[in-house]
Order: sequence, then structure tokens, then C-alpha cells
Amino acid sequence: MNQAVISCLHANLPAVEAVLKDIELQGITNITCLGDLVGYGPQPNEVIELIRDKEIPTCQGCWDEDVVDGLDACDCSYPSQLAEKRGHFAHQWTTDKLTTENKDYLANLPYSIRKDKCLFVHGSPNSQHEYLLPDMDAFAALERVENARAEILFCGHTHQPYIRELADGSIAVKIKNSVPKDTQEKEIQLPMRRIVNAGSVGEPRHGGTKATYVVHNDVTNEVKIREVEYDIELTCKAIIDAGLPPIFAWRLKNGFEFAEQAEDASHVCER
Amino acid sequence: MIERWALVSGLKGDLDTYELIQKDLKKTPGNITLFVLGDMIGPEKNCNRLLHRLINPKSNDLQPWCIYGWWEEQILLESGYRGDQRAEALRINKGEEVVKSLTNAVDKSFLDWIAALQFGFVELDCGLIHGSSKDVGENLTLDTPPLTLLDRLTRLQVNRLFTARSKQQFHLELTEGIVNSEVEDLNGNRKKEQKVPQKAVIGIGAGKNYTLYDVGTDNTQFVQAGYKTEKRIKGFGRL
Ligand SMILES: [Zn+2]
Ligand SMILES: [Zn+2]
Repeated sequence: MNQAVISCLHANLPAVEAVLKDIELQGITNITCLGDLVGYGPQPNEVIELIRDKEIPTCQGCWDEDVVDGLDACDCSYPSQLAEKRGHFAHQWTTDKLTTENKDYLANLPYSIRKDKCLFVHGSPNSQHEYLLPDMDAFAALERVENARAEILFCGHTHQPYIRELADGSIAVKIKNSVPKDTQEKEIQLPMRRIVNAGSVGEPRHGGTKATYVVHNDVTNEVKIREVEYDIELTCKAIIDAGLPPIFAWRLKNGFEFAEQAEDASHVCER
Repeated sequence: MIERWALVSGLKGDLDTYELIQKDLKKTPGNITLFVLGDMIGPEKNCNRLLHRLINPKSNDLQPWCIYGWWEEQILLESGYRGDQRAEALRINKGEEVVKSLTNAVDKSFLDWIAALQFGFVELDCGLIHGSSKDVGENLTLDTPPLTLLDRLTRLQVNRLFTARSKQQFHLELTEGIVNSEVEDLNGNRKKEQKVPQKAVIGIGAGKNYTLYDVGTDNTQFVQAGYKTEKRIKGFGRL
């Protein structure tokens, strides 16, 4: 059976509607959301209500957490003071806009969702703020999946969709400084594991303007990245009308993230 | 002259053991640096004399380089040095009595010194920590999955990790590692074979059991304070 995984909706209603339509057209009813329902975009309440309405199981994203708990991540997640200012502005704007009921909903979202061999998280099993980048150290990546006791780890947060397979791994170990010497060497086979990043519905950062999500077939284990067009103009107009920073509209229209990616994306905020 | 590190942990206020170790080290050849990897304090005995000695070494003492350990973390938590958090894990696991004994065992005048201690040292390509690079309370042992050990080494970007929390003495080498990675994204596919160079995790022991590390030859020696005999570990256990 096919399941769809969506992430980082970021209060972009036209994008969410287009993606849900695309999922529906494929006859897929099993959907999981990896959080970041709000932040940057102009329709936070509308997006939350749509997800609640459709009863789509959702993990808590970094924005969902911060909007509820107050800014938790340190400045290190922003590459420049300007980017930080805009981020803080969007945070405040979203907090002011959200209804109490929707805030409660975000506050009570689970950190992760487990379905058989699949684990769904926003950033990584360690933190909503950790970026699992596609080319991060392969052993560290494998450790994230393995220590979470999953076979496939679905994550978002980077806004760049990818499928990573880690296979044919092994580690040889030897005890030094021990007796007897002959029994002290071993080779441990590592299991095959996968990390699937669903990209972003409402704030794509893959170089194009299309919303992305993934479809996983749990029989064949095949994963496909889907790209969906949506009415960008509509979202951009809503961003301007809402008084949010115009650069948020500009980057949606131009399809890349303008100077907003932290230099060391592997850095995890400890605060 | 041979460069050696003496790695000590888990003294928990035991000045006698510390003095024995200092005495040992005076007789140990080489240019020795003494690292104390946490748990200088504990709830069992009054720790003030040891703390005073660590802060104010005697003229013929080797200068100790200290980091904080799990017990230091507990007293800092309980004393409000970590924001609103208190030593709840300790309270739940060991009870209110132990929390009290701990705070009674250390004079408040030492708390600022404890709070200024670092989480770990990176010397050459070696990480010196109490637990792991993930958590001061994490136990790394011979039974820890190698993938986890590798991750903890990677987090500090070191080739050797000296750890104390498990109290065990061991020297585990990760001699070879390989994994194939295939990434598919909107730009296409890319494959990469990743290998790891030789790395090691070394358990340094606790209390009287400490470790000498020969920086030049990468050899460890497990020592018991006051005894000349070398303590050696036996086998893999449940690995
Ligand atoms: Zn996001
Ligand atoms: Zn996020």
C-alpha cells in the first residue's frame, strides 16, 4: 500500500491544498505529516485546520515547538542578523495570529510517530532542530536510524527532499591490551537502512518552485519524490497583504533559499 | 622523553587514593600530564579536602587538569547552575537522602570552580570526556554497539575517545569500517563508499583504577594505584 509523507507546510495554504489534491488523485489515503505547519507563510490557522480536519497524523516541527514554547533555538540557526530578525518577526506574527485552540493543537503534537518499521520525525530522532543532510557522514546517518530502532526514517526540516540508502556496512573491532590475544577481533555487519526526507510543501528549498513530498510503497519499499505545482502568486499576495517580509514571497517565486541557510547546518542547538 | 598521560576519574572525594596516584606518578618515567575526567565528588564522603588539593596542588604534585563528570553535573543541577532544572534523575533513582548527602559533601565555596569546569578536552586527535560526546551520563563499554561508538567519535571529530563513566578499563579499536551510501534527490543519483580510518575508545577506569596512555606509541596501561601490577581486561564479554 502507498503512503504519502508531507513536511514543512509553513502556513502556505495553496501549496498544501495542491499537494493533498495530488495525493488524493493517486488514491492514497494514508498520510503522515512531519510538522512545521506554521512559520514564514500567511495562513497558519487555515493550514492547521485543514490538517486537523483531514485527521492527518502529525509530528511537532521546530516552528510548531517554538511558536508554543517561545523561541527555543539559539541564534545559531540563522546565518545572518537580518535573517534572524525576519525569522523572529515571522515567529511573533504567527504567535499573534494563531487561535488558542490551534496553539494547543501544536503544543500537543507528538515528537515522533512510529508505524511498524517506519519512524517519522521532524528533524532527527535526537532533536527537532537537527538537520539530517543528504551527504552527512554515512555512519552517523546510519546511527540515527539504527538507534531509533527503525528501518526507514522519515524526516523533513532541511526542505530538500532526498532518499538515502545505507547498505553493505560493517565495522571491524579489536580489543587492544588484553589477554588472550586470539579471540579479540570481530567484524560486525551493519543493517541496511534508509533515510527519506520529504522536502517541503510550503517552503521548498531544492532550487525549484514546486512543492515536494514523498510516496512510499510498503510492499515494494519503493520511495518516490513528487513535485507539485501550485498557485504561487496567490501565496505571495497573501504574504504581502499580511505584512510579512516581502522576501518570503520573493524566494517562493524564485525557487531558492536566499541567504537563509546556516553555514554549519550540522550544528545542533543545545539550548 | 616519552610523553604520557595519566587518566583518572571517580575519586569521589577520596584524597587518599589521589595521593597514592600522585605518588605512583612520581615514580613513572616520562613526561606526564594528569587528567582527571570527572566525578571528583560523590555523595559517599566529604569532598572538600580533595577539591582543595585539586585547586591548590602541593608543590611536588603533578598539576591536575579536571573536567566535570556526572556527579558534578548533579550538584550543579541541584544548586541552580543549570537554570530551572534540578537533579531530578538522581532524586528519582537514588532518593532524597543521596541528593542531600551530595550537597552536604561539597562546600558551597567550591561550586563556582566546579561550574567553570569544561565538558571535555581535545588533545591532539583525542577526546577526553567523562561519559560520551552526547551526554556526560552516557556509559560507553565494550558492549556498546560499534556504530554508536563511531558516532560519539565523529561528534568530537577525534580518533580516540577516553571515557570514564562506565568505570571499566578497556581499549577497543575500531580497525575498519565501510558503508555504501546512495542518495537520490531531484538532481539525480550519487553513490559513495565511505570508510573510516582506525579509531579507538578507551575506558580509563575509576577510583584506584586508572590508565596510563603513551602518546607516541598509542599504548595503554591499566594501573591500580599503589600496585605495580598491570590490570588487564578479559575478553569481549557480551559483544
Ligand atoms: Zn520547516
Ligand atoms: Zn524545521
